[in-house]
Amino acid sequence: MTGFEVRVNGRTHDDAPRPGQCLRTYLRGHGWFGVKKGCDAGDCGACTVHVDGTPVHSCLYPALRADGKQVTTVEGLATDGELHPVQEQFLAAQGFQCGFCTAGFLITAAALDDEGRADLPRALKGNLCRCTGYRAIEDAITGVKHVEEPADGEAVGRNLGAPAGPQVVTGTARYTFDVDVPGLLHIKLVRSPHAHARITGIDTAAALAVPGVRVVLTHEDAPQRLYSSAQHEIVEDDPCDTRVFDDVVRHVGQRVAAVVGETEAAAEAGARLVRVDYEVLPAVTDAHAAMRPGAPVVHDKDPVEARIARPADNVLAELHDEFGDFAAGLAEADAVYRGTFRTPRAQHAALETHGALAWFDAETGRLTVRTSTQTPFLTRRSLCALFDLPESDLRVVAGRVGGGFGGKQEMLVEDVVVLAALRLREPVKLELTRSEQFSGSTTRHPFTVEVEVGAKADGTLTALRVHVVSDTGAYGNHGPGVLFHSCGESIAAYRCPNKRTDAYAVYTHNVPSGAYRGYGLGQVIFAVESALDELAHRLGIDPLLLRERSAVRDGDPLTTASGAEEDLLIGSYGLDQCLDVVRAARAEPVGPVPGGWLVGDGAALSMIATAPPRGHFGEARLRLLADGTFELSVGTAEFGNGSTTVHRQLAASALGVATSRVSIRQSDTDLVRHDTGAFGSTGVVIAGTAVLRAAEAMVGALLGAAAERSGVDVSRCALVGRGVDCGGRVVPFSELAAGEPLTTTGHCDGTPRSVAFNVHWFRLAVDPGTGEVRVLRSVHAADAGQVLNPMQCRGQVEGGVAQGFGAAVAEHVDTGADGAVTTAAFRQYHVPTFADVPRTEVHFADVTDPLGPLGAKSMSESPFNPVAPAYANALRAATGVRFTDLPLTRDRVWLGLSRD
Amino acid sequence: MIPAPFDYTRPTTVEDAVTALRAGGAGAKVIAGGQSLVRMLQRRLVRPTLLVDVGCLSRMREVVEEPDHLVIGATTTQHELLHDARVRAHAPLLSLVARHVGDPAVRHRGTLGGSVAHADPAGDPPAAVLALDGEIIVEGPRGERVIPSAEFFVGPFRTALEPDELLVGVRVPKMGEGWTVHYEKFRLSAQKPTLLGVAVMVRRVGDCFTDAHIALANSGSTPVRATAVEVALVGADVTEEAVTKAADLLDGTMEPFARQGVSQAYLAHLARVLTRRAVVAALSW
Repeated sequence: MTGFEVRVNGRTHDDAPRPGQCLRTYLRGHGWFGVKKGCDAGDCGACTVHVDGTPVHSCLYPALRADGKQVTTVEGLATDGELHPVQEQFLAAQGFQCGFCTAGFLITAAALDDEGRADLPRALKGNLCRCTGYRAIEDAITGVKHVEEPADGEAVGRNLGAPAGPQVVTGTARYTFDVDVPGLLHIKLVRSPHAHARITGIDTAAALAVPGVRVVLTHEDAPQRLYSSAQHEIVEDDPCDTRVFDDVVRHVGQRVAAVVGETEAAAEAGARLVRVDYEVLPAVTDAHAAMRPGAPVVHDKDPVEARIARPADNVLAELHDEFGDFAAGLAEADAVYRGTFRTPRAQHAALETHGALAWFDAETGRLTVRTSTQTPFLTRRSLCALFDLPESDLRVVAGRVGGGFGGKQEMLVEDVVVLAALRLREPVKLELTRSEQFSGSTTRHPFTVEVEVGAKADGTLTALRVHVVSDTGAYGNHGPGVLFHSCGESIAAYRCPNKRTDAYAVYTHNVPSGAYRGYGLGQVIFAVESALDELAHRLGIDPLLLRERSAVRDGDPLTTASGAEEDLLIGSYGLDQCLDVVRAARAEPVGPVPGGWLVGDGAALSMIATAPPRGHFGEARLRLLADGTFELSVGTAEFGNGSTTVHRQLAASALGVATSRVSIRQSDTDLVRHDTGAFGSTGVVIAGTAVLRAAEAMVGALLGAAAERSGVDVSRCALVGRGVDCGGRVVPFSELAAGEPLTTTGHCDGTPRSVAFNVHWFRLAVDPGTGEVRVLRSVHAADAGQVLNPMQCRGQVEGGVAQGFGAAVAEHVDTGADGAVTTAAFRQYHVPTFADVPRTEVHFADVTDPLGPLGAKSMSESPFNPVAPAYANALRAATGVRFTDLPLTRDRVWLGLSRD
Repeated sequence: MIPAPFDYTRPTTVEDAVTALRAGGAGAKVIAGGQSLVRMLQRRLVRPTLLVDVGCLSRMREVVEEPDHLVIGATTTQHELLHDARVRAHAPLLSLVARHVGDPAVRHRGTLGGSVAHADPAGDPPAAVLALDGEIIVEGPRGERVIPSAEFFVGPFRTALEPDELLVGVRVPKMGEGWTVHYEKFRLSAQKPTLLGVAVMVRRVGDCFTDAHIALANSGSTPVRATAVEVALVGADVTEEAVTKAADLLDGTMEPFARQGVSQAYLAHLARVLTRRAVVAALSW
């Protein structure tokens, strides 16, 4: 091939593409990192670019065909330093959260004609967003403005923009893989084709003979040490059952070996040639079957060392508790409902896949791991324990993280890059494909939940029991945590004197389950909220009234079947306001409905603790810089939830300065001493509290320094915008910066904890002919305490609702008889698109929480939880059919109707 | 995600393309828009030894108007089908269907010929071409050949094309007086592939159906004509009852190609409901 030439954003590249190369990798290889990989299959739109002005999926575009063409990536949208109008609009509406999909949306939006703008559901069909729920994107494209200008002293409660906004819309935000590391080697993984097998031999000769293959790493190279891929503050909370590479494989897709090559092609070619001999062992892929006597044992390990409750029975963890007397309570009831509910595996589907790079600093010899993680500090601790490294020799840092949803509270790639880097002493990278993400990372735990609930005729609950079986898959990781949490706030949300829980997290030879938005709560809430609704129908009382009568009230203790949790209380209460929102919405007239369609409405509520139990530590540091601005360092990560925006607002507010005077660094183990990280909805409540404390300490330090400098008593000193007024004379911050360095630190240990509430309500219309369901109205009321950034909090709620909606109506990871994932692409596993997601009216309760920073509560995981049961309850009202198995796809709805 | 090695050629005439295909033998594969093929190459679901890129063959990109027909070049994109005035005027069913193909970026690259030659039983354009009684124009070492669409689709992803033949165009009759069309596409969610597609062309004179062409996508190993329904409609009154009665003749024995986890009963039911709705919608076109 000669004479190849392509113009990209006005620059010419004339090196010919590699054979078979797509335009996406060609562009990224030339440093155009704004072009993202979300799927490499033309399904997600993250790699969309213009070729001669026309949008194309660059992953499906042979690079050779770009010869002689003009290519525009997001980096080329701006001209002469002026942002393209769509870039301005995405900034003004904040039409993004993690921002990983944003470049694709911008490129698609920039090419829209009037017809496309008039039909966005169709025009945006090729672009997926997992964070926003699309309303913010719609607002951006239609020119709605939300972002306010920053001003001194009024930061909190305002719609201020995300600090990274300008980088996100110009494609210059640097995500995990958007770095150019010279000499980078590439890792490809060999994965198991068997559900359960012992490896009897691995022949790496053919792989090593591939030019460019440097090493093949197998279980013989991996530490013997066991660990958990789950990342928690207390290591002992999680089972210890995983090896980097094991000599026993326990699910199809488990990693068996890593091939390190000088190019991705060499590593891939090598991976295909690694020959593994397996002794195939019997497998069990059904959680109920796995608990029966004689079932194949998934982990034949010591229960104490591995922290597994009953390894021989495949029971990883269990919970059997009773509060009051369940049987007596049931006997008192005027009506009893008993039902079994099932929720499937689901995928986080963060658009940035898991992946990490590792390299040694040439001068210091220190190892840096750059990874897409929610927990840099915990991951460093896990890596150091695994490889016997002192923490001072390892830095873990995240770039901008392209979505997480719990999936990145897990060490799934970092161990492999460190193993390879330690072996080769060269920089290495491992980036999972979308297909690996489905079959080799983690999923939401599939649950079977039996609920038995009894009530008096007036709706007063007398007995509530849940029996839970959670399929934790081949490795335990979050299994116990998810199980215990699932039976927590879901049960504690209701006043009932007699409660019982029997719950099991069960090993199977399926793809491992893991942390997923809601952490088990959503599965049990689906069951409990459906059951209560059904009970109300049977009692002939309004389901909303039953909830109002039975839900916890302000001042109530929060009791599960295990009793009350020590540090969990109703710090503030807005559930009544949330229920009032739904009551009002419900009273409004129904809009137009297609002829013959059935109409009904339904609601569900959820409660969630504002932080995980047993300690969650946040740390932040604030430093006054020479120019009189402040640098805020926070330990926690952000993956699109907007906590960084709020951190800057909290600091600016305390310091009385505009947010533009506070710069932020984050997600880096070099920044602070220790931080538990971003999970359990802690970004605002815990990390935010740490930030606030650092800022309050800084206020004291500034006043003290100014007093000393001016000789005016500190009681007469006060902050005024960009300096300190010392009895009439203003000492600018920049002057204070010239003196002793001013640095303050803030901590939060995450206890005591409050609760947040969410109520969702749908009005649906159902086509009895096809089972198609249309959302006529969707209303969400949230008690988030004081809302620190309404625009962003609304985005969090809408994104959570959209993800919950996907779980309610569409998403399911399917597996074959051998447990192999059969829906390993977005073409089989459908994340909701713009066209699928209803617009939701979001309302916030007027509440101030005494425990959260400036009265705030968390609003991260929780909007997800009431969505699926509200949908099922509305369907019940419309059709008379109680649907018990998610997702409620059109065929299932039709089947339910035709059985009725 | 890196394709197996292959040779690549970009001929500038149809003759050269045919020569290249012939030389490449069974390992040769044509790439048009690549919207299905590139994905399959990356996953190594297909491993051609030679790719013949027909993107530079200007003859294949033309829409030619004949007295009673439209000849649509194989590399006409879905986007062009949607916007071309002649296609919209004379073969509106193809424009309607193109609207449902992929997303805007895919429609800018994906071609009619590529879709027809790919012969996905759940594909929308093949069903439309079949409903139109289209003809597939093919060039090969033995010259031009015209294959009726009813004989072109022979199985899932299999056609009557010989390995050394190139699909150069699709000829469809111009829509005459009194005809109306509709394409009813049903999916489980917006981005899912077609669970059932119904392409309908009906002609009415007064209160009576005089002609009906109905083809279904994803109701067999190829797109299929709903012959029983067509026969029942011709001569029937234009009433909802008559349409329902005709649509109910779909007996549910059709086996979907891509099941997407749903039951046969549901698909059989959908075929009847959606065919009825599609005919009714065509009447109000």
